[in-house]
Amino acid sequence: MSIDANLALDAFKIDEESHIQIIDEMRCKERCQTRQCLYVCPAQVYTLGQEGEILIRYEGCLECGACIIACDIGLAWNYPRGGFGVQYRFG
Amino acid sequence: MAEAEKVEVVIVGAGLAGLACAYHLADAGLETLVVERGDFPGSKNVTGGRLYLHPVRRFFPPIWEEAPLERHVTKERLTAMGEGSSVTFELASERFKEKPYHSHTILRAKFDPWLAKRATQKGAIIVPKNRVDDLLWREGKVIGIVASEAEIHASVVVAADGALSFMVEKAGLGQGRKPQDYAVGVKEVIELTSSAIEERFGLSDGEGAAQLFFGSLTEGMFGGGFLYTNIDTISLGVVVGIGALMEKAPGFELHRLLDSFKERPEIKPLIEGGHPVEYSARIVPEGGLESMPRVYGHGILVVGDAAGLALNTGLIVRGMDFALASGALAARTIIEAKKRDDFSLASLSRYEESLKESFVLKELETFREMPHFLQNPRLFNLYPQALAESLERLMWIGEEPKEKISTTLWGEARRLIPSAVGDLLKVWRI
Amino acid sequence: MQIVVCLKQIPDLQQIRIKRDTREPVLEGVPLLFGDMDKNALEEAVRIVEREGGKVTALALGSPKLRDTIKEALAMGADEAVLLIDPAFADSDTSTTAKILAKAIEKIECDLILCGEGSTDNYSGQVPSRLAETLGLSQVTYVRKLEFTEGGLRATRDMEEALEVVEAPLPALVSVTSEINEPRLPSLIQILRASKKPLQEWTGEELSLSAHEVGKEASSLEVIRNLAPEQERKNIILEGKIDEVVEQLTDALTREGVIAR
Repeated sequence: MSIDANLALDAFKIDEESHIQIIDEMRCKERCQTRQCLYVCPAQVYTLGQEGEILIRYEGCLECGACIIACDIGLAWNYPRGGFGVQYRFG
Repeated sequence: MAEAEKVEVVIVGAGLAGLACAYHLADAGLETLVVERGDFPGSKNVTGGRLYLHPVRRFFPPIWEEAPLERHVTKERLTAMGEGSSVTFELASERFKEKPYHSHTILRAKFDPWLAKRATQKGAIIVPKNRVDDLLWREGKVIGIVASEAEIHASVVVAADGALSFMVEKAGLGQGRKPQDYAVGVKEVIELTSSAIEERFGLSDGEGAAQLFFGSLTEGMFGGGFLYTNIDTISLGVVVGIGALMEKAPGFELHRLLDSFKERPEIKPLIEGGHPVEYSARIVPEGGLESMPRVYGHGILVVGDAAGLALNTGLIVRGMDFALASGALAARTIIEAKKRDDFSLASLSRYEESLKESFVLKELETFREMPHFLQNPRLFNLYPQALAESLERLMWIGEEPKEKISTTLWGEARRLIPSAVGDLLKVWRI
Repeated sequence: MQIVVCLKQIPDLQQIRIKRDTREPVLEGVPLLFGDMDKNALEEAVRIVEREGGKVTALALGSPKLRDTIKEALAMGADEAVLLIDPAFADSDTSTTAKILAKAIEKIECDLILCGEGSTDNYSGQVPSRLAETLGLSQVTYVRKLEFTEGGLRATRDMEEALEVVEAPLPALVSVTSEINEPRLPSLIQILRASKKPLQEWTGEELSLSAHEVGKEASSLEVIRNLAPEQERKNIILEGKIDEVVEQLTDALTREGVIAR
């Protein structure tokens, strides 16, 4: 299944603001060659833009935290506000 | 100035550890507030899914029989996966069929609300839909929490906010999160009828199967697969070390591992005709004793996954029993502290003592070397492949006459010996 | 001003899953909350009382789970709550529901009744009108702006293509749309304090309603089935240059009648 089909199984309550931010795009470009956020994320929240920038689809975040364990320079990450984000019905 | 309220204890997170703690505190008459960021307790929580109940029975009254447990596990399977072959060991024992049952599969969005209700009945206040943003400090001591601009003061804060604990970080109790100390797991819940599940796994009514997989499914990375049968769903997932994952090349997609796993002939017929109904992910502490944070500080205790209380021995994966027990032990510490009216660091340090005296830290101590041992990539590529291949060679009848069994085994052994001797010695030390 | 706000407890629609084989919604374990426009009504009531003084009474009819659900209404600013909980009330249709609510409101002193225009789950929009009729009150529907004059109210009604401003004497019943305000998210402190606010529970007996006058027996409407509509996915993937693809997309959507050119 595509990741979108996977994520479509879940209930998400989407906040207007993202709970994930790139601290500084230049820092990612200059100091990170590996771009681990692109492939440690089980929800493919992170994708590469046309200019080599990191794009964030916070709406489908499963809030696991793998990205901020893998990346210690580029991400400002918090849990979504209370009542927002993924809501599991099985868990 | 933000509005403020005062309670005796604030617990951050309504997972098993937090709820177990709340249950006991409220039972002892302490004013207890649990703040949960999800829509309801359990709505953010994910398990692989099996709970071992024997270790925790003595910490609770007999409440488990009425819990929304899925199936009691009577069949244990372990599968070593090679590229085109696999070897499965199956343990079926009458002992697993004796009450009270040994272990149960569970789903957290069903189980946690039940435990929350039990805690509420005891008098705990559980507030969902609220995220705890920060700790409140005074003179180097945690004195409460901040949530949606409101301040809640408390004698003790209990950090029960899971494997990715911001409370541990804010309290300065952690050692920093190292990628090799964590794994990330993805899981699909697949809907089937209970009769199909019982037929496919050879189970009687209410019985369940648990199966762990290691080998080629993780493409050589530290990790494995799991399958648990629930009442009318199957929990199927893959867990891989974040450290190992980081060495993958861009273009790698984690959820594809699960897709390939589902296509394996060992799995496909088991889930045939089933509908996926949920896709979830979580991180798992894998560092064991050595990467644990400090479990107490001034005005704060750390329980469950937030304290890194999880154990993977390759054969057994545990965490939820540790969570329940640590929550109960933290409650015991706080109740005693309240009796003495002494919430000092020394008073709260009794929590660590009680963890050491309990199975929780005794087991983690026993398996102290396990995380190092499991970092060995040969466990995930060479050995499962060799095991499956050598059994295949023993079983295969071709045109040529078969060689002596010892010759086959010796052939395999010669391939493995250089590394296997060392690895076996390591097993001896565990 | 004494205001009663009627609130309907409904399952959280965002969390309902549809069984693929039977198309039935899975309601088990789904959290309960109040409808969106009911919250608009409550928010409006709280704002009026904050401005002009008085009291907001939250009134809800439903299952025992209301005891938990009502906390959000109290946290949002209702001063007290009255819950109508009785097994005999189950399966009441809109007419019977209005009858029960009316009986309860007769026991509460009030100048204004606020309702959401429709519930978020069924959206039949029947209860407010039936309630006003049963109580013999003036009723103003589709209200997106509410003000007060000497002895009465002035309301702006949303007629989609036009706005209508009407005046009515008090007491009255007003049903509101989501445009009227943005309901507040209660803080943790407000939630904690909510559990200390007065809460009453009335059964049919307290409302002098016998079991024959309520529930399924007294209702002329019966829900036979509740199924999700059948969905067909076309799964058309358009590829090519962005300008051409946009053209193809608008063509496809026009063909399907989704958009008009």
